[in-house]
Amino acid sequence: MKTRSAFARGALLAYVALAAACATVSPPPRPTPTASPPASNGSPAPSIPGDGRPLPDSSTSSRFPPPSPQPSERSEPPPRDVPAARPQSDASGASGALLEQSRAQRAAGSLPAARASLERALRLDPNNAAIWLELGELELQTGNSAQAATMARKAMTLAGRDARLSARAERLLDAAE
Amino acid sequence: MAGRSPSQSRKASRIRGLVLRLTAVAFMLAIAYGGFLAWQATSEFEGRRWDIPAQVYAAPLELFTGRALSAEDLVAELKRLGYREDPRLIGPGTYRVGLGRIEIATRGFSLAGDVEPEQLVAISFVGGRVAALRDSSGSRAAIVRLNPLLIGSLFPSHGEDRIIVAPDEIPPLLTDTLKAVEDRRFDSHFGIDPIAVMRALFVNVSSGEIREGASTLTQQLVRSYFLTNTRSGFAAWWRKIREAFMAVALEVRYTKSELLNAYVNEVYLGQDGARAIHGFGLASQFYFGKPLGELELHELALLVAEVRGPTYYDPRRHADRALERRNFVLQRMADEGLASNDEVQKAAEQKLSLVLDERRSRTHSAFLGLVRRQLSADYARDDLERTGLVVMSTLDPAVQGAAERALDKGIEALGKNAADFQGAVVVTSPHTGEVKALVGGRDASYEGFNRALDARRQIGSLIKPAVYLTALESGRYSLASVIDDAPIVVELDKRRTWTPSNFDDQAHGLVPLVRALAESYNMATVRLGLDVGLEPIADTLQRLGLEKKPTLYPSMLLGALALTPIEVAQIYNTLANGGFRVPLRAVRSVVAEDGEVLQRYEIEMTQAADAGAVYALNQALVQVMERGTGRNVRAQLPADIVVAGKTGTSDDLRDSWFAGFTNTHLIVTWVGADDNRPTGLTGASGAAKIWALVLAAVEANSYNAPAPEGVDETWIDYLTGAPMAARCPDAIAVPVPATDYYPRVFGCNGETGFGARIRSWLDSSRR
Repeated sequence: MKTRSAFARGALLAYVALAAACATVSPPPRPTPTASPPASNGSPAPSIPGDGRPLPDSSTSSRFPPPSPQPSERSEPPPRDVPAARPQSDASGASGALLEQSRAQRAAGSLPAARASLERALRLDPNNAAIWLELGELELQTGNSAQAATMARKAMTLAGRDARLSARAERLLDAAE
Repeated sequence: MAGRSPSQSRKASRIRGLVLRLTAVAFMLAIAYGGFLAWQATSEFEGRRWDIPAQVYAAPLELFTGRALSAEDLVAELKRLGYREDPRLIGPGTYRVGLGRIEIATRGFSLAGDVEPEQLVAISFVGGRVAALRDSSGSRAAIVRLNPLLIGSLFPSHGEDRIIVAPDEIPPLLTDTLKAVEDRRFDSHFGIDPIAVMRALFVNVSSGEIREGASTLTQQLVRSYFLTNTRSGFAAWWRKIREAFMAVALEVRYTKSELLNAYVNEVYLGQDGARAIHGFGLASQFYFGKPLGELELHELALLVAEVRGPTYYDPRRHADRALERRNFVLQRMADEGLASNDEVQKAAEQKLSLVLDERRSRTHSAFLGLVRRQLSADYARDDLERTGLVVMSTLDPAVQGAAERALDKGIEALGKNAADFQGAVVVTSPHTGEVKALVGGRDASYEGFNRALDARRQIGSLIKPAVYLTALESGRYSLASVIDDAPIVVELDKRRTWTPSNFDDQAHGLVPLVRALAESYNMATVRLGLDVGLEPIADTLQRLGLEKKPTLYPSMLLGALALTPIEVAQIYNTLANGGFRVPLRAVRSVVAEDGEVLQRYEIEMTQAADAGAVYALNQALVQVMERGTGRNVRAQLPADIVVAGKTGTSDDLRDSWFAGFTNTHLIVTWVGADDNRPTGLTGASGAAKIWALVLAAVEANSYNAPAPEGVDETWIDYLTGAPMAARCPDAIAVPVPATDYYPRVFGCNGETGFGARIRSWLDSSRR
C-alpha cells in the first residue's frame, strides 16, 4: 500500500505548510510526492500575463524555511514512493531552446558550438534523457563511439519507462558498439 | 713674451692629444651606455606588452523561466558584477527594480567563441522563481545570460596582476585627466619637462615639503619598469638621470599615444595581499567591480588619484585621504574644462562607492588553486602567468558565497571549543562534474593552506558505500539481505587480532543491509566487507574515482584511509551521477588572447558501476537521512525533499565528514583541527550541520533519479529485513533486482494467508 491514510497525510501537509514560515499561502497539496520540482524538468512555471503582476496563488518557495523546531516525538516521514520515471519526451523551455540551437549549429556544421549548447542545456536539465541522447549522437558523428555508448547508457538510466527515448537510446548504443 | 720652447709645446700637444683621446673614449662610452639604456628601455617596453596573467571567469548566470532565483538573489549578482541601479536604464550594465520585477540592460559578452548580445530584459518573479522573461519587444525570451564575473587571475606569486585594455577601450576622459593632473605638457614635451622641473623646485622649496612632482608620464612609465627605491643621495640623482635619458629614448622611438596606452596598462594602483594591482583595467575591477568604460566621474577621479600613491591613498584603509585627493583631481578636471562645475560638484559629494571586499579575487583563492591544478596538466606555468589567456571556469559565485558563509557560521555554532577548528567544503554538479564552489578554510580570504585540496584525513564511515556497492554488484546481496551485526574478531596475522565495535558499543543482531548502512553499523560492515573481499572493494573505490590504490588492511573497511575533500567529492560524484564517472572539472575552456579557443574541457564520462546497484545504494543513502545517522540533520530540511548522504567519523573523533547530494548538487564537508587532535565531533554533529547549511542556501531540489531498467521494489521491515506490508510501521520500500524473488506479504508479521489479506483490505478501506 503506497499511501498512508488521507487524514494523516492532510495533517502532515498542513504541518509542513505551517513550518514553511515564509510562505504566506499554503502550498497546494500534491497528491503524489513523486513529482520532481519544476527547476529540474523545466515544466511550465507560473506564467505572468502582460505586465508581470504576481499570480494570486504563489507556488512553493524555492528556499528552505528557517530551521523550525521539530515536534518532540519524531513523526513518520512523509510517505515517499520510490520515484517513478517522469514522462519526458523532449526538453521544454530553456533547455528545449538550447537543444534547438544546438541542432541548428550542428546542421550548419559548427560542431563545437553545437556541443557547447548541449552542455549548457545539460547544466539546466541534467536528468533529461533527450539531451544526453543528442550529445551521444553528436559524439558518434565526431567519431567518438566510446563516449557515444556511455551517453546512450546514461540516457537509458534516465529514460525510465519512456519507450520512445529508450528505443532511441538502444539505437544509439547499437550504432556506437 | 718669448714663445714656448719646443719641448714645452711638444708636451702640451701630447697632453692635448691625450685629453682629446680620453674625451673621445669617454664620449664613446657614454654613447654606448646611452645606447644600452635606450635598448633596455625599449626592450622592456616591448616585453611588457605580453606579460599578462591568465584571467579567470566564473560561469555566467543563466536566466530562464522556472529557474529558482529570487529578486534579491538577482540583485546580489548584479551588484557583484558592478551593475548600477539607474531608473533611466541608460547603457549596458544598468538595472532598475520594480514591483516583483527587475529590468536589466545586460552587458553582453563574447568569450570562448560564444556570443551573448547586449539586450534589455525584464524578469518577473513569483515565489522565489523566475516567472517570466521578456526582451525589449515584449516577447518571451527563452534564456539570457549575464556577463561572467571575473574572479581573479593566475598571477605569479608575489607578482603583478593586470588586465590589458586596448586603446579604444580607454575613455578619453581618463587620459585627459591623467595629463591634467600628472603631466600637463605631455603632448608637447620630449620625455622630460624642464618647465615642470623648475616649477616643482620652486613650489617644493617655498612650501618646505614635496607637493608637486615633476616626473612626466613617460618618466613614471620608466620608473615603473625598473622598480628601484633609492630616494636620496647620489644614487637617487643617478637614477633620475638614467630615468630621464630612458624617457627621452622612448619618446624618440614611440608615439605619444603608444606611450599613453602603455602607461594606462602599467601604472601601479593598489595592493591585494601578495598581488600587485597594475593598470587601470584591473584597478577598475578591483575598486569598483566593473569595466573601465562604465566608470562614473567620481570613480574615474579616484583611480587617477591613486596614481600618486596607492598605499598612502588606499581608499579601503585611508578613506579620508583618498577622498581628499579624489576631490582634488575633480577640481583639476573642472579647472581644465574636462567636466562642468556642476558635474564636479555632484561627483565630489559622492561616497567612494567601492565594491565589497568579497568581490576581490583572493576570496576565490581556493577555487583558483583548483583551476591552476587542472590547467597545469596542459599548460606551462609561464603560459598561465604571462600570455594573457582567458579561462572560463565552472564557479557559481552565489554557491561559493553560500558555502563560505555556511562554513564560518556552522563552525561558530559548534560552540567555543570550536574556536580553532577548521573545515573545507566542495560543491559539484554531479551530472557534469563541474565544481561550483570550493572553500579551503574558515577565513576564505586567507591565501593559506587549501584544505579542500590538500588536507588528507581519515574518512571513517564515508568508505562504507564502496563496501555495500561491491556487495550489491556481486549479485549475492540486495538491500533486503540480512547480515549479522555481532561481535567479530579479525585475525590480522598470527599474533595480532582486530575487534571492531559499534559507535554505541551495542550489537544489533540480524539486520538488513539497508539498515546496517543507514545506521553505519561497524561489525556488520566488517563482516560484509570480509565476505566480498578487500581487493574488490579497493577496485570499486578506484572505479568510483580514487586514483591511488588503497592498502588492503581490514581496517580499510571502516575508513582507515586518508583522503582529501576533493578526492571524496570525486568518489561521491560518481555515486550521485548514477555510477557514471566524470572527472571533476573547474575549467570549461581556455581562450588565447586573440580570442581563439585553445581548449575545451568537455564532459567525459565512463560507466564505473552497475546502474541498478548504484540506484539501490543511493536509496540506502536516502535511508541514512530518513532513519539513520543523518536523521537529525535531515529534520532541519524541508519535509518534502529527498536527499541522500553519509556521515563519516574517524578514530577518536578527529575528523567529522559529511557527503550528500540531490539531483543538482553534491556537497562534501569536513571539519577537524589542523593539528589532528580530537574534536569531539561525529560526522553527524559537525560536518553534517554545515552540509545542511550549504544545501539550505542553494537551490532546493530532491534526489529523485528514476529507477533503471531491471530494478523492482519490495517492502521490508527496516528493523529486521523481513517482508512486510507497506502500511506497517517501519516498512520501507527497497529496490531489488527484478530477477530476485521476494514473497508478497499482507501483514506486519510476515503473514501471507487469506485472513491477513482480508485484514489488510479492511485496514486500508477504513483509513
